[in-house]
This record gives sequence, structure tokens and C-alpha cells, in this order.
Amino acid sequence: MFSQFAVIWSIMRGHRLRYGFALLCLILATVLNFGIPLIGSATIDYAVAGKTVAPDTPGLLALILRLLGGADHLRDQLWLAPVAMILLAVVAGLFSYLKGWQAALASDGIARRLKDELYDHLNHLPARHHDRAETGDLVQRCTSDVETTRQFLATQIMEIGNALFLAGAAFPLLLSLSVPMTLVSFALIGPIVIYGYFYFRKVKHVFREVDEAEGALTAIIQENLTGIRVVRAFARQDFERAKFSVPNDRYRDRSLRMLRLMAWYWSISDFVALSQIGLTLLVGAWWITAGTFTVGLLFAFLAYLSIMLWPVRQMGRILTDLGKATVALSRVREILSVAREPEPATPPSLLTSPITGRLSVRDLHFQHASTTLNADGRGALNGLFFDLQPGETLALLGPSGSGKSTLMHLLLRLYDYERGSIRFDDRELSTLPRAWLRRQIGVVMQEPFLFSKSLRDNLRLGRGDAPDAEIEAAARAACIHDTILSFEHGYNTIIGERGITLSGGQRQRVAIARAILKRPALLILDDAMSAIDAETETLILDALRERRGRATTLVIAHRLATLVHADRVLVLDQGRIIQSGTHAELSAQAGLYRRLWQIQTSVETELKSTV
Amino acid sequence: MSAPLHQEDDFKARLDAGLWWKIFLRALHLKRYLIPLAISAVLLAVCDAGFAHVTRWVIDGVVRDGAQAPFAHYILVYLGLTLVLCCCVGIFINMAGNISNRLAHDIRRDCFDRLQQLEFAFYDSRPVGWLITRLTSDCDRLARIISWGFLDIVWGLSFVLMIAVSLLVMNWKLGLIVISVVPPLAIISKYFQKKMLLSAREIRKYNSQITAGYNESISGVRTTKTLVRASENLAEFQQLSTQMFQASVLNARQNALYFPIVTTLGTLAAGLALWRGGWLTLNDDLTLGTLVAFVTFAGMFFNPINQLAQKLTEMQGAQAAGERVMGLLATTPAIKDSPAVIDRLRQTKIEDPQSKLAVAPDGYPSRIETIEFRNVTFSYATGPIVLHDFNLTVRPGETIALVGPSGGGKSTIVSLVCRFYEPVSGQILINGVDYRERSLAWLQSQLGIVLQAPHLFKGTVRENIRYGRLDATDAEVEAAAQMVNAHEFILQMENGYETSVGEGGNRLSTGQRQLLSFARALLANPQLFVMDEATSSIDTETEQLIQRGLATIFAGRISFVIAHRLSTIRRADRILVITQGRIEESGSHEELLRRRGHYYELYTNQFRREREEAVLEAKS
Repeated sequence: MFSQFAVIWSIMRGHRLRYGFALLCLILATVLNFGIPLIGSATIDYAVAGKTVAPDTPGLLALILRLLGGADHLRDQLWLAPVAMILLAVVAGLFSYLKGWQAALASDGIARRLKDELYDHLNHLPARHHDRAETGDLVQRCTSDVETTRQFLATQIMEIGNALFLAGAAFPLLLSLSVPMTLVSFALIGPIVIYGYFYFRKVKHVFREVDEAEGALTAIIQENLTGIRVVRAFARQDFERAKFSVPNDRYRDRSLRMLRLMAWYWSISDFVALSQIGLTLLVGAWWITAGTFTVGLLFAFLAYLSIMLWPVRQMGRILTDLGKATVALSRVREILSVAREPEPATPPSLLTSPITGRLSVRDLHFQHASTTLNADGRGALNGLFFDLQPGETLALLGPSGSGKSTLMHLLLRLYDYERGSIRFDDRELSTLPRAWLRRQIGVVMQEPFLFSKSLRDNLRLGRGDAPDAEIEAAARAACIHDTILSFEHGYNTIIGERGITLSGGQRQRVAIARAILKRPALLILDDAMSAIDAETETLILDALRERRGRATTLVIAHRLATLVHADRVLVLDQGRIIQSGTHAELSAQAGLYRRLWQIQTSVETELKSTV
Repeated sequence: MSAPLHQEDDFKARLDAGLWWKIFLRALHLKRYLIPLAISAVLLAVCDAGFAHVTRWVIDGVVRDGAQAPFAHYILVYLGLTLVLCCCVGIFINMAGNISNRLAHDIRRDCFDRLQQLEFAFYDSRPVGWLITRLTSDCDRLARIISWGFLDIVWGLSFVLMIAVSLLVMNWKLGLIVISVVPPLAIISKYFQKKMLLSAREIRKYNSQITAGYNESISGVRTTKTLVRASENLAEFQQLSTQMFQASVLNARQNALYFPIVTTLGTLAAGLALWRGGWLTLNDDLTLGTLVAFVTFAGMFFNPINQLAQKLTEMQGAQAAGERVMGLLATTPAIKDSPAVIDRLRQTKIEDPQSKLAVAPDGYPSRIETIEFRNVTFSYATGPIVLHDFNLTVRPGETIALVGPSGGGKSTIVSLVCRFYEPVSGQILINGVDYRERSLAWLQSQLGIVLQAPHLFKGTVRENIRYGRLDATDAEVEAAAQMVNAHEFILQMENGYETSVGEGGNRLSTGQRQLLSFARALLANPQLFVMDEATSSIDTETEQLIQRGLATIFAGRISFVIAHRLSTIRRADRILVITQGRIEESGSHEELLRRRGHYYELYTNQFRREREEAVLEAKS
């Protein structure tokens, strides 16, 4: 319990003062609101009913009467009472407004900071962590769990604070008015809170079942609508209707069960609350006849009860919700507690010297973590050696799982290698700051990720200050310029979820343009043209070659068309290089490369023979 | 095309009473809940007001009669009132809950029903997420407004009326003074409720953008890292989170302002009652109990007026949702049996079981001999023309392969055959009869379809195959699986035929899903088989299984295949190269190769690609 409060206290940093102020405003508003019935009470008893102030008059009432100029003065100037009440109401309202405003500034401020921290943190977690995390789960933690926390901070903490204050301050105030009546008026308050708490705890599973039923219903609808073509293809409308009616009925029936429970809860809760009012009224009336109580005091007590009963009846639910907030917060903190990728500062020497893109790989080993998909040794590297000269284009060829993509991830420091060495411009990769290194490398993956922004903004991601002319030049080099112009809004076309959907080949070409625009020292193409037709691929490769002076290029390819453009080809198998050489050398050796090469010629002859 | 999933409603300035009446009419058959609801709402208002009267009665009694006051009566009346009120609460929650849930259930069922009938063109322009929102939250929201809104409006009006009548009966002059706060209270409530609804909507809008932002950021995290965009992305995100922060604070401030204003108005009313009432009491024109009752009543106006304002505002806010749901229910399918066909269906009665097989329910022969496209032109709703004056005759048992660039019209041809769409002009004839003169249900029950991304339903392998024919026995299901060579891999799965395939079949590979959808289609024993072949690479082993399965399926029925794999293409009796909505080349594989045209080019590219993949897959 204490540690939970410590956690909540710690996320409130920077907003604690504002919180304290909000709580103070809440208390002041409550105090002032309590004053209003008191004025009514004093007026009724002393000005209207003609009771006289005696030594046994409660101090607060005497004080109010004194402030209003005494009972006799008040009787003549009766308007003073409503004016005082309204004044109190206005000032109390002002504090109540301040409380609402400041509490929102604090709680929404904390929520905003949490969201920003989460967003930033997720972007800085190691790639390894993202391999095993589920997007849906992460998003839920970042949104609904943060929202649960915010609600807790904005309302529940305030409600609990208010309740504590009511218990701590209102109780003595009422005691000062009348000790026995206070005891009578609080007789059933405790039971209401306890009843509410246990009731909600007991029916918690019913709420969950309704949520589950709703989820199941949504899932069925979604399944039917995504598969509507299959439904039609087999004319299965009646079957689907029957299938749908099960969760539809269940959702209705479970909701109704929850409603019946709620109906019982509120009826009983109302009964107890009204009994409390009735008890106060009748006991008060009885005491009035005995002369130990007054109409004005009864009015005041009834007014206080009506102020207090609503928050008190909510208390049971708030207390059961308390657990939810701490669970939500702990789920959020679980993300924040994962260590970020270490990020050393960029040594000043790196910033000055020009980067050539020279690469030298020695005895490189890497094993995927057992939790990832590649636990069976696929994609592992088992002692890789090769050199890449500035401006050279090197192609990597090999069956899937041979380690090509792993190498690319290591070069980008998305993973860290365990044994061996990679030197980039004669500096050991593991000593280079990730951000600096990644700025020097342009990479295009087989399924490139584009953001839901305009095409221009997407292209500019690599270099934010690129002028429009350069953006177009890059798009031309990647053979996407004409396609972009064919869209209604050209470069301003929004793509992705909120815009148009690009085909696989179009996405790859946009990503190539994005990488070109970045003007990297090292360009990596990881099967980046798999969805582009051979003709366009050649055009793009030619354009890249013209720019070769700038970029050292590493191409991972499955097609001969790509491979023949490289200066040198490495054939990879099971994390080792089994062949390397120029196009001419490799086509002379037996092996994977030659088999690919032979297809080219054999296709022609085979076709002739079939015809 | 892509309407945003979290589309926000326009706030309607005017309440469309006609629309809400139409929705309310749908709740009328729930009379057995509506009537008790209305009665309990009125009774509740009476009780709520009754308590203040009891208090007055008690105070006046004890002030006048002292200990002689009838305490036993007080207790009985108070207890009675309490019990009635609690029963009312129990009843109205149950009744409103029943109406709300049953109405939502029924509207949802009707919407679902309608969706099952609507043509594909309807789905083309509406994303699934958009439709789901209509069927889930929109239905719930409308039903809630009708039920709880009905309750609050009946209760609120009765309660305001009860208070007003009580005040006027007790002392009409004083009553009028107190009631004078009601109009400003109502106006202020309505004003703030609208403001708060709009700012709450802003919050929801930003919230869905933030959710989308997280989604994008997590899916694109590697790209963000490699482009070193973390700080720029964060800056963009911070703009969003700040906008949401501002909207939330605005909403909280509106709330924080509204409540003090209306409670101050309540205090004003109470103060007026105390001032004038106190004066009257001093002059013995008003009893002490009545004074207390006046002050109490004056403070009671706020709650019902707040509820009334809130419900009316909610109705304005939900009006767009109401229009969409009612619009969906009013949409009629564009592709359906014509009146003439319905007549034929009614008149055709076949007793003889032998002819039942030979004659379709619409009276025509049930065997599909030929299919003919005659001068068919087609375009999707707003798009350009996809098929131009298309002509094609398919002979009995023929397998037609459609090849060509994407967007050329291959899928359109297939969809037209299935009558998922109908030609804009021209005709499609089955055995020489325009298929619009045939029964839609009959035609579609003759189809076996395998789509490019074969969709399976959540459930077991067996359930998915049986989807082809619901009354098939287990043995028939397994026989179908055997015929398409799916049996072996099914048995290798952890629970065999009872293995769950996951949502959309995602626990299986594309090839396995395709094999299951073959089995499903084969079980239906269709006269017309349609397939859009998957383009993504499938391992050689599955590929061979698929090819052998296809041989079984193609035998003895007309088949249309959008083909990518060479082995499938070569299996066809006739190959059509479709470009820009026309047949560019047509003929057998050998004929087309000899022509050295577009087909030759497509074929050699595909041939090379498949061979290269084979070499890489075979390893060294």
C-alpha cells in the first residue's frame, strides 16, 4: 500500500504544488458550502422562529449571527441572509472552479508527460525488445492505461481527499452543532461505504463478463465483414445470421444481468440513504418536541446529509477502482523501466572528418536471442570476413536464413555483435554512437515502412532541409516521380492509414528515393526491389551507379538482374561466405551463382523446345 | 474511399424530431417495459417531491403539537415513501436497461441482416472498421438515448412540474419568485452542455490520433531508428499530446465553471425563498415547516434541469449516428432477384426428386453449360471504365486462365461472373439466358471460390472446410481434404481436424490456407469454380500439393482462374491476356508462346523468377 503511494507520489513530480493548491481549493469550497446551510439555519432559528442566543448556542451559529449584526438586526434586515448565502456560494464556486481547473492542469499535465515519455522511450528501446513485444499490448498500455491513471489523478484522488476532509473536518463541525445529532446522522454512513465496497468487489467479474461479451460480439461482426466475400461465395447468409445471434444474445443477456445487479445495488443504497435522512428527520423532530433541538438545526443537518450522501455512496466504487489505477500505472511503468539503447555522445573528431563508407568485417559472430523467431539458428552469423571499399557496390546472395539481413541489422547497430569486429571508416562500430552511425547509412528494406504523412514529408524524413528540387531528383532516380505526379495532389498526397494506399513496388521506390535523398556514405538495399519489375529495376540501378561517387553500396538480392550490377558478389550460406568474386569469376565457378546465371540462358532454350 | 475509422459526427444545430420518433417507434414493441418505465419515472418524481412535503408536515406538526405530534404516522408515511421510491429505482433501472439492451440487440440484428444482403459495391466504399462502429457503439448509443433519455425526460419534466406545483400551491406569490430562476438555469445548462459535448468530442478526436501515433511509432520503430528521427517524431507527437492536454483542460474548466454557476443559481433561489418566506413567516403568513420546504425545493431545481439539458444535447450529438444507422437499415440491395424471378421462384414446384436435380428453383435447367459475356462494359461506382465491350464464350468444362498486369480487369471479370457486380451495359448469359433472369441465390450456391488471400473463419479446420456444405458428414469433409492433398498436413497439426486456425486463419501459411479453401470449395461441389491465385511465394512442396488439388477441382466444371504460377497457367484450356479491360491475346499456352507477344514476355519473366527462387530455395 505504501509503495503504491510512493509510486503515485513519484509520477506527480513537478505538479505536486499545483495538486496541493487544487486540494486546498476543494477544501475551501467545501468549507464555504457548509456555511450556506448554517446561515439558513441561524436565520430560521434566531431571526424567524425567535429563539434567543444563549450560552449553549453553538459557537458557529453565534458567530454567524454576530457577523450579520445580531438576531434582531437580521430580523429587520432579512435580505442580509440571502445576500450572505449568495456571497458564500459565489466565493465557494470560485474555489470550486479553481480546483477543477488546477486539478485538470495537474492531472492532464502528468498524463501528457507520461505519454510523451512513453513515446520517446519506445523509440529508444533496443530492437531486441521490439522483436518480442506486441504492438496492440503496447498501444493499450500507452493509451487506456494512461487514461485510467489520469482519471485516478483527476477525480479519484480528489474525491478521496474530499472524503477524508469531510470525515476529518465536517465531523467536528457537526459535533460542535450537536453531538447526539451528529452521531445519529452518521449512523448509516459507514454501512453505506462498506456495502458499496463489497458489492462492487463482488460483482466485478460481472462487469468483466459484459466487456468480454462485447469483445466477442465485435470480433464476430469484424470476422463476418472481413470475410463477407466468402459468406457470399457460399451463400451462407443464414448460417452467419445464426452465428451472429449467439454473441448478440449473450451480450444482451449479460448486460441485463449486470443491470439487475445494479438495480438491486441502487435500490438498497437508496433505501439506506433515505433511511439515514428519515432517521435524522424523525429523531430531530422528536428532540424538537423535547426542546433539545431546533428547526434550524434540523434544516442544517438535513442539508449536510444531502451534500454528503452522494460522495459517500460513490466511495464504495471509488475504493474498488483504486486497484485498477495502480495496476494500470504498474503496466505503464513496466515499459518505462526497460533500459534504453545506450547513447554515448558523438566524439568531436567524428564530426569533422569526411566519411568514405569503407567497411571491414572480421570474424563476425552473432546468434539471435532465444525468444525471437530465429531461435533455430537461422539468420546466425558464424565468422564472416569481407571488405568493402569506398564507392564499391557489393552484392550479397544466399538462401533465406543465411544471415544477410542479420548483417544489415548489425551494421545499423539495431543489434550488437558478440564476437569479431566491424570497422566503419577504420573505427570499431561498437564504439560509434548509434545516432551518428545511422545518419551515415541509408537503408531500404524489403517491406519499407512509410509514415502516414504526405509523400514529400516521407521523402524528407532522411534529410529535413532538402530543397524541393532535390526531392524531385531523388524521386526521379527511384523512378517514382511520374507516379507521384499522377496522383491528384502530387507530392502533397497523404499516404497510409489516412490517405491512399501504395502498392508494394511503389512503397519500395519511395523508400529508395528517401534513402538516396539522405546522401548516405553507405547505402544498403535489403531485397529492396522484390516488387519492382525488372525493367524499372535496371533504370534505378543505373541511376544509383551514376551517383556511385557518393555512396558505397551493399545490395542483398535474389535476382540475377540485380546481381550483375555489382562490382563484387558474396555468396552466403549458414552465416559464412562460401564464394566471392566478380561476375565473371563466379560464373566460371560451380555454385549458387552459376546456377542462377545458367537459368538466364536455359530459359531461352527451354522455351524454344516447348514450342 | 477510406473514410477515417473514428469519424466524428457533425453536431446538429436542430433536433430532428422525425428521426428520433422513427427510432423510438422501433422501441414501441417493448411496451411491457416502456409503460412501467414511464409510470416509475413519474412515481419517482412524486416521491422525490413528497419527501420535502413530509419534512414540512413533520416540522409543522412538532412545532404546533409538540410531543403530541403523530410520530407513528410520520414513521409509517416516511417508510412507505422510502419503500415506494426504492422500488421505483429498482424498476426503472430494470426497465430502462431492458429497453436499452433489447433495442440495441434488435437494431444490431437488423443492421447485420441488411449487411448480409447488400452488394459488394456497398462494401467497396466503406471500410470494415467504419461498419463495425455502426453495429457496435452507434447501436448501443442510440438505444441508450432512447431508453435512459426517455426516463430522464419523463422524470425531469414530472419533477420540475411537481416542484413548481408544490411551490405554487404552498404560496403562489413566493412560488413565482422562486420559479423565476428556472429559465436562466435551463438556458445556462443547455449552453454549457453543448460546450462540454463539443470539447469532449475534441478530446476523443485527439485521443484517436494519439493512438494512431503510437501504432505508427511502434510499427515503424526500425525506420525511425535508421533515419534517426526519434527527436523529430517526438516533437510532432508532443504537438498532439499538447493539443489533447489543452482540450482536456478546456473541458475540465467548462465543467468546473458550470457546476458552481448552477449551484449559485440554486442558492439564489433558496436565498430568495428564505428572505421573502422568512418575512412571511415573521408575519405569520407562512409556517416554519413551509419555509423549510420552500428553501429545500428551491435547491432541487438543478438536478432535473441538468438532466433534461444533458439528454437533449446528447440527442443532438448522436443525431448523425442515428441518421447513419437508420440510413443503413433503409438501404436496399442493388443486386437482387427481379419481380419476374421472384414470381418464377414461387411458381416453380418440383415434386419429382429426379427432376429436382435437373431443374433449378427458378425453373431453368440447373446444369450450367455455357457462360457468355456479350458486349459487357463495366465501371466501378465513380471510377473509369474497367471493361470495354467485352466478349467471351466459355464452353462446358473449360478452364480459363486470366493473366496480365494488375488493374487490367481480371478480378472484375471474375466478380461479374459471380454476379457480385452486374454489367453496366451488355449481358452475361448462362446457357443463353441473361443471368439477371435467373435466381441470384441459385447462381451463388453453384459457386466455389478461392480468393488470393484465402479467408478462413476463426474455428477449427473441420468447421472451415464444412463451410462449403453445412450438412456434410465428417467423412465427406475428410474426403474433400484428401482430394486436394490437404489431409496429410492437417493430420500433422496438433489436433488434426480439430486444430484451431486462428483469427482469419493466421496460424496457417498462405499455402495451407489455400489448400483448405480448395477443400471447402470442393465440398460444395460447385458447377463454377473461381480462383484468384496467391502471388506470394509458396514453398515447392505446398506448390506441388496445390497443383495436384487443382487437377481434381478443374475436372468437369467451368473454371475461371486469375493465374500467376506457370504450372496453373499451363493447366488451363484457354489463356486470356487481359490488358486495359480488353482481351489482348487469347489461345492455348503453345499458341500464345509461338506468337511471341505479351504472353511470351510475361511467361519468360515469371519462368525466370520461379527458377531463381527454386535455385535459392534448394540451397547450395
